[in-house]
Amino acid sequence: MNHWMLYAAVAIVLWGVNGLFMKLGTNRVSARSMVIWVTVGFLVLLPLLWKESTLAGLSTSVISVGLIAGMVNGLGNWAVFACLERGAKASVAIPLTALYPLCTVILATIFLKERPSALQWLGIALAVAAGAMLSYEPPPVRAPEERVP
Amino acid sequence: MQTENWHFPAWLWFAILGMFWWGLWGFLSKVGSVSASPLQMQILFTLGMLPVAVGMLLQMRWKVDRNRGGIAYGILSGVVTGLGTLGYYAALRDQDASVVAPVTGLFPVLTVGLAFVILRERLNKVQMGGMLLALVSIVILSI
Repeated sequence: MNHWMLYAAVAIVLWGVNGLFMKLGTNRVSARSMVIWVTVGFLVLLPLLWKESTLAGLSTSVISVGLIAGMVNGLGNWAVFACLERGAKASVAIPLTALYPLCTVILATIFLKERPSALQWLGIALAVAAGAMLSYEPPPVRAPEERVP
Repeated sequence: MQTENWHFPAWLWFAILGMFWWGLWGFLSKVGSVSASPLQMQILFTLGMLPVAVGMLLQMRWKVDRNRGGIAYGILSGVVTGLGTLGYYAALRDQDASVVAPVTGLFPVLTVGLAFVILRERLNKVQMGGMLLALVSIVILSI
């Protein structure tokens, strides 16, 4: 197994477990409140990260990219709430937003000139479709589910 | 319904916007991970999302539900997500974003599996199909 697969597996496992916490949490508080408490969780982690690492040596442009990355992720959460509050069916909207890796693939092939092989394209297409299909929960649904990476 | 009166529904704009913002996050993570370590990326990510969280808090007029269990699951959720994101940034150092983003986007495989085992939720046919495609895609992309 390649290194990257192992790291990706860590993300899949922890984000997957998070999905369960999200379900359990939104059974008790509103989805919006959940985002606030999740942010508190991120802040809890911050001193631990800071103990092991500093931002010293990073260029201003890299720091900006990292900050903007965090911001657009937050805006993504906000857009999903706005979408659900405007009468979207969660069973349609959530799988639709789960297609976000498609957007990453498009941006990476255009701006970073990434060139996946034919076989990799097949894998990418199947993975994107699988992500959306796995997020499908038929109506009636409970509180809108959050997909926060 | 008269087709000439059909409007692109507002919710659809927001769904597409959400998809775009998250996709942009995936892309910017790759750009940043080339020179920043996963720990540094996660620090910046957290600081970057704070203004949006504060904006949401203002929009909610500071009315946040304070059920104990909800708070515990929320904070746990943030910690677990943050640690998982370190894996995502680490994977991006060795592999293209066009491969890492779709693979890590398969995380609902585990959520659906755990919900089935622990919460005794039933899998629907679409999710079963998704599980199958997820496995095939992982095998293909690990070759």
